Amino acid sequence: MRGTDMRGYALADCDLSSFDRQFEARCRLQRPDRYRLLQALPRDAPRIARGSGVSYVAASFGADAISQQLGAFDRVLAFNEGTGRLSVEAGARIGDVQRFALARGWYLPVAPGHPAATVGGCIAADVHGKNPARDGTFRAVVEDLELWTGDNGAVAADAQQNSEWFAATFAGFGLTGIVMRATLRLARPPTALVMRRMPVANLADAARVLREAANAPVLYGWHDGRPGRFGRGVIRVGLASDVADASAARMPPPSRDLPEQIAPLPLALWNRVGIAAANTWLSARWCRPGQSPLPLAEALFPLNDARTYFAGFGKAGMVEAQWLIPHARFDDFAGALAERVARDRPRIALIASKLFAGRADGFSFDGAGIALAIQLPAPAESRQRSFLEALAEIAIAHGGRANLIKESTLDAATARRAITDFDSARTRLATHNAGGLHASELARRLAL
Amino acid sequence: MSERVTTSIVIGASSGLGRALATELARKGNALLLVASDLRDLDALASNLNLQYGVAVRALALDLGREADPGARIAGALAGLPPASALLLPIGYSREDDDFSLDAAGIGQLLAINLHAPLAIVHALLPTLAETHGTVVLFGSVAAVRGRGRNVVYAAAKRALVSLGESLRQRYRPGELCVQVYQLGFLATNLTHGMRLPLPAAAPERIARAVVRRLGRGSSSRYLPGWWGSVALLVRLLPWAIYRRMKN
Repeated sequence: MRGTDMRGYALADCDLSSFDRQFEARCRLQRPDRYRLLQALPRDAPRIARGSGVSYVAASFGADAISQQLGAFDRVLAFNEGTGRLSVEAGARIGDVQRFALARGWYLPVAPGHPAATVGGCIAADVHGKNPARDGTFRAVVEDLELWTGDNGAVAADAQQNSEWFAATFAGFGLTGIVMRATLRLARPPTALVMRRMPVANLADAARVLREAANAPVLYGWHDGRPGRFGRGVIRVGLASDVADASAARMPPPSRDLPEQIAPLPLALWNRVGIAAANTWLSARWCRPGQSPLPLAEALFPLNDARTYFAGFGKAGMVEAQWLIPHARFDDFAGALAERVARDRPRIALIASKLFAGRADGFSFDGAGIALAIQLPAPAESRQRSFLEALAEIAIAHGGRANLIKESTLDAATARRAITDFDSARTRLATHNAGGLHASELARRLAL
Repeated sequence: MSERVTTSIVIGASSGLGRALATELARKGNALLLVASDLRDLDALASNLNLQYGVAVRALALDLGREADPGARIAGALAGLPPASALLLPIGYSREDDDFSLDAAGIGQLLAINLHAPLAIVHALLPTLAETHGTVVLFGSVAAVRGRGRNVVYAAAKRALVSLGESLRQRYRPGELCVQVYQLGFLATNLTHGMRLPLPAAAPERIARAVVRRLGRGSSSRYLPGWWGSVALLVRLLPWAIYRRMKN
């Protein structure tokens, strides 16, 4: 497939990098713009679907696979204004889906923070939104989908038809086939939102507040990760309001969306001084009790204002470790983690907390408990690396479940211990990935 | 008073510049007849444009390499749509082996898509377009600025389209029919994906905006992006002894 063979397949050799900059590779990237081209690859050519390439880990490329970029397959196929059922191609970006839906009195209740994430990517990662305890993960909003599977051709799947295939595709990391299209279940958006700020002294306090606000449309915490202040922060509770606000449901134009690739600053901002300054500023801004109106667009895509934050990780990049800890073990986990932070003094750029109330299926990041997303700069540095390993051990010791689509530094052995039903989930994926046709660096690293 | 809705016909609408033109025309409120070879692509695009912009869109699958009378099929598909006011033909098909190594069938296929189809479609739709004082938009290529040992048949066909444009302008007065011919430089489409190009490739969306903006505004012949005019002039002025040594 190299050299002269590339013409006709719209293939090119490209350097691709994961969003967290922890893995890059020279890959073959296909940019099909028609169905015929998308389905034209030789039957034995390893491949993987690629949306906007904003996954933190290398899920949409790998040195030995052709990345099939679905950017041209971003069209709205059908919309029922009465029921809110929306059919789109898999390359449709979530930001564009929200713009389309909100203009017609609907919205997608489960959406990741990056507006460039595609519908296919959200399915492959089974992403969660602003309150997974209330809304579930992305599988909760998908009515049906269609996959291109190579030898098996097109497979239409929903909860009744090809239901195993349907289930395996969520958090299947693109290994069950190329998602071509999906029908989404939209919901009516709140008239307006008010964001209530509830300061917390530590992570155990945060867990209590999160549980009490379980039904809020928006619910997440921000926490200081520095020793001595570890876990201090605020729970942000977005509540529906009846106060009409004309701008509440308006989405900014695509030009305001967070870009797919963010050039790193030449000098990393998130050293100890930078982290201290940012935490002090955020504490002063957010950690006061009270409430204020919140535009829905801001609630849906908080990352749109985070360009400098991501650029500030510099060329060494970042890593996000995301663990879901069962309620019964969370306070102990938080205590052990605080001790470890005090001892190792890692640089933690931020900690976010969320409440989950679902049931894990396959490799999905779901269950009943509290999830922490912990972002660290320069994960290759020995102190950072050693903390990440310790974090994994502490989390596993407390029954934690890892979000495999987030953390680049997890190895296969750790992942196996971090997912209780790893082997059955792996077998299910393999069953729907005949001959290992679909492959990626993520799949290679985790031996999926 | 709202403007009268008319139909624009886009040949080769499923990808690249054709898709960008269809999108821009829909954004401006035009009804559309979209023509390309694969109905799957056309149906998806038609649904999207209808839902996004609320315009009437009809799709017609046609293999221009095999269709004996594409103009008649397209004229027939206009029934029931608002009057046709623009015909845009952003079609082009090139082959790596178009370097004097093609056989007769290969030459015929290139001519069918790049020359016969535009000629036949223009012929069939001229009465309709003349009636609405519409616009015919033809797309040439910088590949045809000066003959080379590559893209031999393709460039010959593209240069013939320039002649077609001149014929139309000679036959119809400006008030009767607008004839616009664009010589396109490199476009950032899947055809140039991964290619090392000597000059930058333009986004199809940018070219589409420029083309749609000028619809109905008189006959003309120009390069897009405009700076390709200077490049073309330079290429034409190159002494033959130097030009014949150039590889690309």
